[in-house]
Amino acid sequence: MQEFKQGTKFFVQYLKQYKLGIAFVFVLTIVSTYLQVKAPIFMGNAITDLAKYVELRLNPMTHNLASKTDFHHALMMMLMFFLFNAVAMFISSLVISRITGYSTNAMRVGLFQKLQKMTIKYFDSHKDGEILSRFTSDLDNIFNAMNQGLFQLFSNITLMIGILIMMFRESAELAWVTVASTPITILIAFFMIRKARKYVDLQQDEVGRLNGYINEQITGERVIITNGLQKESVDNFLEHNERVRQATFTGQVYSGMLFPLMQGMSLINTAVVIFFGSYLALHGDMSRATALGLVVIFVQYSQQYYQPITQLTSMYNMLQLALTGARRINEVMVEPNEINPTNGKHIDNLKSKIMLDDVHFGYDANREILHGISIEVDKGQMVALVGPTGSGKTTVMNLLNRFYDVTGGSVKFDGVDVREMDIDSLRDHVGIVLQESVLFSGTIRDNIVFGKPDATDEQMYAAAEEANIHDFIMSLEDGYDTKVTDENSVFSTGQKQLISIARTILTNPDLLILDEATSNVDTVTEARIQKAMDNVIKGRTSFVIAHRLKTILNADKIVVLKDGNIIEEGNHHELLAENGFYAELYNNQMVFE
Amino acid sequence: MEILIRHGKKYRFDILWAFISVTIMALSMLWQPKLLQKVLEAIIKNNTHEVDKLGLELIIIAIVGLIGGAINTIFAAKVAQGVAADVREEVYRKIQNFSFENIEKFAASNLVVRLTNDINQVQNLMMMFLQTLMRIPIIFVGAFILAIVTLPKLWWIIIVMIVLIVAVAGVSFGRMGRNFGKMQKSIDHVNTLAKENLGGVRVVKSFVQEDNEIKRFTKVSDDMRDLNIVIGNWFSVIVPAFMLIANLTITGAIFFVGKMVDSDPTALAAVTSYINYLAQIMMAIIIGGMMMTFASRGMVSLSRLNEILKTKNTLTYGDTPEKDIVGNVEFKNVSFTYPGDESPTLKDISFTAQAGQMIGIVGATGSGKSTLAQLIPRLFDPTEGEVLIDGADLKNVNEKSLRKAVSFVLQRATLFSGTIADNLRQGKRDATLEDMKRAADIAQASEFIEKLDKQYDAPVEERSANFSGGQKQRLSIARGVIGSPKILILDDSTSALDAKSEKLVKEALDRELAGSTTFVIAEKIASVINADKIIVLDEGKIVGEGTHQELVANNKAYQEIYQTQKALEV
Repeated sequence: MQEFKQGTKFFVQYLKQYKLGIAFVFVLTIVSTYLQVKAPIFMGNAITDLAKYVELRLNPMTHNLASKTDFHHALMMMLMFFLFNAVAMFISSLVISRITGYSTNAMRVGLFQKLQKMTIKYFDSHKDGEILSRFTSDLDNIFNAMNQGLFQLFSNITLMIGILIMMFRESAELAWVTVASTPITILIAFFMIRKARKYVDLQQDEVGRLNGYINEQITGERVIITNGLQKESVDNFLEHNERVRQATFTGQVYSGMLFPLMQGMSLINTAVVIFFGSYLALHGDMSRATALGLVVIFVQYSQQYYQPITQLTSMYNMLQLALTGARRINEVMVEPNEINPTNGKHIDNLKSKIMLDDVHFGYDANREILHGISIEVDKGQMVALVGPTGSGKTTVMNLLNRFYDVTGGSVKFDGVDVREMDIDSLRDHVGIVLQESVLFSGTIRDNIVFGKPDATDEQMYAAAEEANIHDFIMSLEDGYDTKVTDENSVFSTGQKQLISIARTILTNPDLLILDEATSNVDTVTEARIQKAMDNVIKGRTSFVIAHRLKTILNADKIVVLKDGNIIEEGNHHELLAENGFYAELYNNQMVFE
Repeated sequence: MEILIRHGKKYRFDILWAFISVTIMALSMLWQPKLLQKVLEAIIKNNTHEVDKLGLELIIIAIVGLIGGAINTIFAAKVAQGVAADVREEVYRKIQNFSFENIEKFAASNLVVRLTNDINQVQNLMMMFLQTLMRIPIIFVGAFILAIVTLPKLWWIIIVMIVLIVAVAGVSFGRMGRNFGKMQKSIDHVNTLAKENLGGVRVVKSFVQEDNEIKRFTKVSDDMRDLNIVIGNWFSVIVPAFMLIANLTITGAIFFVGKMVDSDPTALAAVTSYINYLAQIMMAIIIGGMMMTFASRGMVSLSRLNEILKTKNTLTYGDTPEKDIVGNVEFKNVSFTYPGDESPTLKDISFTAQAGQMIGIVGATGSGKSTLAQLIPRLFDPTEGEVLIDGADLKNVNEKSLRKAVSFVLQRATLFSGTIADNLRQGKRDATLEDMKRAADIAQASEFIEKLDKQYDAPVEERSANFSGGQKQRLSIARGVIGSPKILILDDSTSALDAKSEKLVKEALDRELAGSTTFVIAEKIASVINADKIIVLDEGKIVGEGTHQELVANNKAYQEIYQTQKALEV
C-alpha cells in the first residue's frame, strides 16, 4: 500500500503539467467508448429492420409496404459511429504517446540531474548496475505501463461500464446472463496470475543459477581445458539443465494458460448468451425480429465485454511493475544532495598552503578510518603519501576535494575551511588524476578538453605534449577526432592514463591530487607515464598517493600512513635515518602497494 | 531450422498432441459462428426444439474448445522447454569439446550470451509456434472457407479486406521495424552515458562538469523521446486503421446482405456468422504478422546457435595410448600467429628444458611470454615448428596423459563457485584432505584456510568475491600443485603476493616438486634469479638464454632489464 501511495505521488508529480492533455484524453475516451458501445445497437437495429423488411416482404399482404429506409438509416448511423470512433481513438492515441514520451523523458533527465547532485558516498555505497537499472528496467516498465496500461486501464473500465449500461438498457435478463460468469472468470484469472508469478519466479531463480554456472565455466574455460575437466563440467551442467527444464515447464504452463483460458471462457460465455437469447426470442413476449436483433447485439457485447476483463488481468502485472519502478526511482530522488554552502567563499588561487588539521574520518559512523591526522602542504611543494593497503591513503584524497566531509578536525585551503567554500570554486582549483583512468565516450578531443570545454587547439596540444601523448594521438588516423568508445580498446591502460593526465594539465589546477596507478604497464609506457607525472608535478602544489619509488624520492615530504595514523614524516633520507617503518618497507623490496 | 526438426523428433508425439488440441480449439472457434447462424435460422423458423439442441451443442463445443486450449498449453510448454533444454545441452557439450582457440575466437562472453539469451529466444519461438502460430493457418483457412460458404456471393468483400489489411500491416510493420532498430541504438546511447557518468562520477565532479553532462544527457534523452513519439504515431494510425477496416467491411457486408435478402431471405441469418468469420480472418492476419516479426528474431538466434554447432574443433587428439610423462620439454623452431593476426607473436623459438629443471621466462609486456606458455599445455598448436614432450610431438601425445602431467597456473586466478575443496580437487579428482593440506602448505594458503569456519569446506562465492586477490592466487597455485604435475607453469601467478610469501612459495616448490619441470614467467627478474635457465624474450624472439650470472655478464637485453629493475632497488 505504501508503494501504491508513493508510486501514485510520483506519477502525479510528473503528470500534473499535462493535466489538460490528460483531461482531453479522458473526454475522448468517454466519447470513443460511447461510440464503440453504441455501434452494436445500430447493427442490431439494422438486422431487426432487415428482418422486419423480410417479414413484410414475404407476406403477400404487406409485400408492397416493405421498405429498406430504416435499414439504410441504421447502416448510415453505424458507419458514422465507426468513423468517429476511429478518429477519436487516433487523436487520443496521438496525445497519449506525446504525454508518455515527454513525461518519461522528464523522469529520465530528472533522474540524471539528481545523480549529478548527489554525494559520492551514495555512489560508493551502491553498485553501478543497481543504479543503472533505474534508467533501464524501471523507466522501461514505467514507459510501457503509461503507454499501454494507464490510459488503457481507464478506457477498459469505461468500456466495461459503457457495455454494462447498454446491456441493461437493452435487456436486463440477457445482461445478467452475460455478466453471470464474471466472478468465476476473475477468480480463475487471479488464481492463474498468482500461480504464474510464483512459478515464473522459481523459473527465473533456476535460470539465473544455470546462467551463472555457464558464465563461470566458460569464462574459466582455460582452467577446465588444462585440467581436463570437460566431462565434469558437462555432468554438472546436465543437473542444472534438468532443473531448469522442469521449473520452466511449470512456469510456462501457468503463464501460458491464462490466454487460452480467457479465450475459452469468452467462447463459453458467448455460447451461453446465444442459448438464452434464442430461448428468450422464442419464449419471450417480444417480436421475433426484435429478438433476432437482440441476439446479434448481445453476441457482440459478450465478446466486447470479455475483452477488457482479459486485458485488465494482464495489465495488473504491468502496473505493479510500474509502481515498483516509481518507488525505486523515488528512492533515489529523496537521497540527500551534496551540501554547497550558500554564499560560499570563492577563491582566486592558492596563496600559502593546504592543511589537514587533526582530521578524523570514517565512512560509517562507528568505524573510524583516520584518527586525527595533520598534514601541511606548502605552496609549490610535493607531498607523497605512502603506506600499506587500507591505511587510509585514498581517504585523504576524498577529503581534500570534499567528496566526503571530515567527522572531526578540518581541511583548510589558505586557512579557510573547505566546508565554507563554494564547492565548485574549490573543485575548480583542485585537479585530480585517479588511479584508474576514466574516459568518456566521444572523441579524444572531447576527453582532453573535458574540464575546460572552451580551450583552444593550441592549449590542448600543449597539454597533450606535456602529458607525453601528443605524438601518439597524431599518429592515429583521425588524430584528436579518434572516437573513444566502450568497446574499441585502441587505447592501452597506459595511454588512457596519459590522456587523463593531459585532461588535468589543461585545467591548470592550483592543487594537484594524484593517485598513482599500480597497474602493470610495459617498461616503455612506464617511462612515459613517469615523465608525464614529472611534468605535471613540476612547479605545482601536489599531493601524491605514491607507489613508485622515483616519485617518492622526489617528494619534498613523505608522509607514512598506517592504520589511519601518521607514523612517520620527513624526506627520504631523514626517514631512512630514522630506521622505522619506512626504512623497513624500503629495504624489504619496495612493495609500496 | 534443422536443429529444431532434429530435436523435435524426440517430442513428435507431444507435438502431435499439441497440434490436435490446438486444432480442436480452432475448430470450436470456427464452429461457433456457424451454430449461431443455425440458431438464428431456427428462430426465424420458430423451431424451439432445434434451438434447444443447438444451444446445448454450442455450450459443449465451447467447453471442448477451452479444454483443447488448456491441453495445448501443456504440450506446447513441454515441447518448448524440452527442445530448448536439449539444444542447450548439445551446444554446451559442443563448447566443452572446443579447443581454447575456438573459445577465444567466439569470446567467452559471446558464447554465454548465445547459451542464455539465444536459447531463450528459441524457447519463446517454439512456445509461440506451438501455441499460436500453429492455430493461425487453421483459423485463417477455415474462416476464409466458411465465410465464402456462408455467403458465396460476397466472396469479393473478403478479398478486399485481406488486401487492405495486408497493405496496412506491410507498410506499418516495416516502418516500425526500422524505428525499433533506431530505438535500440538510442537506448544504447542513453545507457552508455548513464553508465559512464556513474563510473566517472569523481571525474565529473572534480572537473565541475555536472551541467555539461546534464546537457549531453538531455540531448540523447530527447532523441529517445522523439523516436518514442514517432513510434507512438505509427501505433496511433495502425490500431484505429485496423478497426476501421474491419468495421467498414462489416457495414459493407450488412449492406450487401440487405440487397441479397430480396432474392434469398436466409441470407439474413447468415450475416452475423459471416461478420464473425471476417473478424477471425482479420485477427489471424494481424497476429500472424506480429508473430512473424518475433519469429524472425528467433530465427536469428537459431542461426547464431547453429554457428557454434557447425564450428570445427581446431584441435584434436590422436588415438595414442596413455603414457607416463617424464617432463622433458623442447621447442623446435616454433612460430605462432594468433588467428586473425597479421604478424606472428612468437618467431622461431627453440630451446630445451630437462626434466626437473626450473626455467625462467622474462621479457616486457607483449613480448610473447604468456603465448609461449600456452603452447605447452596445448591450448594452441604452433603455426610452425613443433613442441615436443619427452621427445614426442605434442600433437601425438594422449590427452589424458598430457592433462595429468601439465599444470598451468594463470596470472588471473580463476576459481569456481563451490567449496575450496571442490576447487582444489579440480587439480586432482581423488585428492584426500592430506593432499589438500600439502598443496595449501606449498601455496602458503594453509594459514588463511585454517582460519575459516569450515576450512576446506568453506564456500567459494561466485566470482570468488569472498576472497582477496592474494588469497585467490594462493588457492589457484594450490590447485596447480596438488596433482604433483611433472610440468608446472606459473604464468606470473605470484603477482598479488607480497615479497615474503612469494619467496616462501618458491622455496616450497623447490622442496616439494623437485622432480618437476617448472616454468616461471615473470616481469621481475628477482622472481627467476635462481632458475636453471632463463629465457629472455623480446618481440616474440629469444634474445638471451642462460643462467642469471651468464646473462648479466654478457647479454645486452638482459642487462637492460636488470638495470631498470635494479635502479628501483637502490
